[in-house]
Amino acid sequence: MSRQICSWMLLAVVTAVAFAQQSGPRSSSAPKQTAGDAQVQQITLPKYPGEVPPGPNVDVYKKDCLTCHSSRYVAMQPRFPKAVWQSEVKKMVDAYGAPIPEADQAPIVEYLVAVKGVEAPPATSPPAK
Amino acid sequence: MQTSADKRNPSSTGVDRRRFVSTLLSVGGLAITGRALEWQPDFGWADKAAPDAAAPTLVRYPQKTELILLTDRPPQLETPSRYFLSDLTPNDAFFVRWHLSGIPTSVDPNSFRLEVSGKVSKPLSLSLNDLRSKFEPVSLVAFAQCAGNFRSWFEPRVPGGQWGSGAMGNARWKGARLKDVLDAAGVQAGAVQVGLRGLDVPPSDKTPVYQKSLPIDRARDGEVMIAYEMNEAPLPMLNGYPIRLIVPGWYATYWVKALSSISVLDQPLKTFWMDKAYRIPDNAEANEEPQHLAPATVPITEMVVHSIFVNPKPGEQLRVGQHYELAGVANDGGSGIRQVEVSTDGGQTWNDAKLGTDLGKYSWRTWRSQWAPSAKGTYKLMVRATSNGGQKQATAQWNRSGYQRGVVEQQNVVVA
Repeated sequence: MSRQICSWMLLAVVTAVAFAQQSGPRSSSAPKQTAGDAQVQQITLPKYPGEVPPGPNVDVYKKDCLTCHSSRYVAMQPRFPKAVWQSEVKKMVDAYGAPIPEADQAPIVEYLVAVKGVEAPPATSPPAK
Repeated sequence: MQTSADKRNPSSTGVDRRRFVSTLLSVGGLAITGRALEWQPDFGWADKAAPDAAAPTLVRYPQKTELILLTDRPPQLETPSRYFLSDLTPNDAFFVRWHLSGIPTSVDPNSFRLEVSGKVSKPLSLSLNDLRSKFEPVSLVAFAQCAGNFRSWFEPRVPGGQWGSGAMGNARWKGARLKDVLDAAGVQAGAVQVGLRGLDVPPSDKTPVYQKSLPIDRARDGEVMIAYEMNEAPLPMLNGYPIRLIVPGWYATYWVKALSSISVLDQPLKTFWMDKAYRIPDNAEANEEPQHLAPATVPITEMVVHSIFVNPKPGEQLRVGQHYELAGVANDGGSGIRQVEVSTDGGQTWNDAKLGTDLGKYSWRTWRSQWAPSAKGTYKLMVRATSNGGQKQATAQWNRSGYQRGVVEQQNVVVA
């Protein structure tokens, strides 16, 4: 998995210059393309990872969760009760195949509850996607 | 109706908190001096004061203008609502939503091929030139919207991409009919679906590849398009260059970006993205209660009728006696918009809004309505649309995944 991510990052570095001149305002859509003179289209993805808030087991969270997505996936969420966070971690493992060792799952939930938890749960059910 | 709409509406949650703060501020300002009439509330400040309602972060990605950042990896970017006052959404302002972090960042249009395989008599490997030259070009304005657009407006809140109103846009697409491509390949008897995937790859080999399927009849209806142009230009990379599927009237989860493979199937596609994700309660309004979840779910497909305010913006303050143009957009799932009605008194009376340009049944429709509030106070604005097919908006709606928002929207506005 990390090898695939590395190859994407490498590609990003290699193409780093390609869009420096194309990121201006409105007129910056892709170069005009007509049949016959097509050129390779490349972009470099900028990084806006945001801050990872401190909390219990933050290193486990960083190691297991942030390989596949940035911390903004958590940062954009409202606060949820623990049951929702348990369900989300389980979904990542069971549905998305996240390589999170079983021993790490409860510590990750603890972190998520610390940064995005609520003590008095609202009237909501755990998501069942 | 009003009561249930209140419960389900953003104005009963964080948005109201912000408005409450701004109301306090403006009242305080007016009490001091007439000069305060020129004072404009700083809603960025008010946003920061509200929990879970931080001021939006604007970012610039390649080929895109400043958009609202939801997530950076994979990228999910919202279109600021001011773009929704125009009939067509510029390519550089069009929203971005990828599922998997391995998104395509380099495409060679000369070597790119679209593979058509499965239950066909002649598998195809089509270049971009093939798509442009061997199939009749067709053009269509179609409205695209993420299934989870407005998710953050549901109450109680649900986990997922916390979209506001910006996971939507309207564009003119040009391309080849999927039907023509399938006909060229020769669909065999017994086909039930087409499976679709693009160039994006999962970050882990255990993560399901992003795949969707369409029923064979939808795939062959002559309207589903393989688009190579968006608003008369190549698609931005982040919107699916070099080609993306356009499924007019259906949520954009089916509009597979960087489309690279079409597989004709004689069995329904088994994939997480159809079987577990993007499913809604099995009823017309995608409605259920948190404590009584619907027993059955189905894949989300056709968009429902919906309308929103673009102006006034949340927290915008209006002046008594001054003419103001209420404005917004309405859409449905493919019959077009017949009527948009606006209420400035919480739904007691309704007035027809003036509809904007009709760009076809799959386009959204802008609307405008003049208003001159005659007294100070807080007004409860509401907007509702009716489709040409007669579909009306729900008055209450919630579901566990925050999909298919179609409830009548309400917006409080302070007139001072």
